[in-house]
Amino acid sequence: MCIRDRYQRRVRGKTEMAQTLATYLSCVRSTLQAAICLENFASQQVERHNKPEVETRQSKELLLNPVIVSRNKVERVLIEPSVNSVRISIGIKKADDLETILCKNFMRFLCQRAENFVVLRRKPRPGFDISFLITNFHTESMFKHKLVDFIVQFMEEVDKEISEMKLAVNARARICAQEYLTQFT
Amino acid sequence: MSIDIKQLAVCVTCHAWNADRTKIAFCPNNKEIHIWAKSGNEFQPEAVLTEHDQVVTGLDWSPKTNRIVSCSQDRNAYVWTDEGGQWKPVLVILRINRAATNVKWSPNGDKFAVASGAKCVSVCFFEEEQNWWVSRHVRKHKSTVTSLDWHPNNILIVTGSTDFKARVYSAAIKGVDKKGGASPFPDKPFGELLGEYPCGGWVKAVAWAPSGNSFAFSGHDSSLTFVTVPDGKTQVVRFKDLPLRDILFLSETALVGVGHECTPTLFTSQGGNWKFDRRLDEPAAGGAGAAAKGATAFDKFKNKVETGSDKNETTLLTKHQNSISKIVAYKAAGGKTTQFSTSGMDGKVIIWDTAQLKVTV
Repeated sequence: MCIRDRYQRRVRGKTEMAQTLATYLSCVRSTLQAAICLENFASQQVERHNKPEVETRQSKELLLNPVIVSRNKVERVLIEPSVNSVRISIGIKKADDLETILCKNFMRFLCQRAENFVVLRRKPRPGFDISFLITNFHTESMFKHKLVDFIVQFMEEVDKEISEMKLAVNARARICAQEYLTQFT
Repeated sequence: MSIDIKQLAVCVTCHAWNADRTKIAFCPNNKEIHIWAKSGNEFQPEAVLTEHDQVVTGLDWSPKTNRIVSCSQDRNAYVWTDEGGQWKPVLVILRINRAATNVKWSPNGDKFAVASGAKCVSVCFFEEEQNWWVSRHVRKHKSTVTSLDWHPNNILIVTGSTDFKARVYSAAIKGVDKKGGASPFPDKPFGELLGEYPCGGWVKAVAWAPSGNSFAFSGHDSSLTFVTVPDGKTQVVRFKDLPLRDILFLSETALVGVGHECTPTLFTSQGGNWKFDRRLDEPAAGGAGAAAKGATAFDKFKNKVETGSDKNETTLLTKHQNSISKIVAYKAAGGKTTQFSTSGMDGKVIIWDTAQLKVTV
């Protein structure tokens, strides 16, 4: 196969991948717009309390059917809506062991600072890498369409960040090895 | 397209007008009730009523008796009477052990009903001998009662609940109501279930038509169901928009719903067939809209400098910037409502006019 064909195939592959990513994100966006229809709802179990129903899960009638939007076996989003809160759990692309380690450390870094993010959950749901919890109090003080924008943008950027980190790790490893081995030449 | 847009607070949970629409009572998403009075063309703050411990979820102002009833998530309700400029509260013993979600005066102003998370509705009336408000419970709900509405005959109520059903009950109180009034159902004792209607989602809002021959309820599955009583014939209208949170009949053939789509939506009926008509807050199409949105080159660069992106997408194109939670009739005569007001999570109260919106009522 000539060089030109190989180049064209790589460009086409990238645009195809970009197209599936765009479809995946637009599907997540429209599901979120339907799921984040939240209202203030006082607890039915404890008087004078107001809890996110998706976390307490005491009354089955207040929970809506969870939806999984998945691009492949690893990259998926689980959206669990309820009457006053939505839990969004994201599975991030992990191609090899290095990306798995980078993803775990990066998500742990973010989750430890969950208070600053407001909508982030401190622990991800088992089986996923990171979880968000959006309640009716968030939609009262913030624009709903900007919250959806934030989540979709987060999904786009976290993939880019992890690829960049992987490149940086590989580059640093190469430089370290070069420096070390010059003493033997 | 609207008469008035008032920014009253950061977020308004509920509002109510007095009989001649010179005063508005609303809750700014906390435990207070604010009353603003009209002076000229503007509204000025007049009084702040602080008696509740948690957010006030329902307000109603009776046009006949000029009394305000408020209910809150602290499972209390108060009846406020205006005594020479001061609003005096009277605690109502609701006997519920969960939050109250909604409250409505009956058409005659002598009873009111409170929907609650205790899976029951408290119908309260004033007991003269003991000089306090007494409540009686309507049970038989399986989950939180989210909404209710009184029939024009002062006896029937329709309730909506998160157990996917709308129900019609009799709320006739001996000593307050007289027998033999106009009613689609035969006279039944208090708390008797007269009809149960299923819904595909949680029932968020219920409303009787002005004649009382039918009612409508909106579900969280983006559906609106119309039921004629007493034969119980239902008609379900499904629409593409996000669910409705409150509905209001403008007349026998027009209904406006408000909800998460941030715009009032009109439904009309032709010969008894209801259908989705249109959204009433469509932004101006074409050039006017684009220019207003800031798509000009100057605005693009301005936004790039200020916010780092060249699209100004923060403000919505609709008048309400967040979901609308309540719709109240503002001007009604002879069974037809020509003006209505909406309040939402963005803190705005907007008064809409059907003539300006080109709605035939």
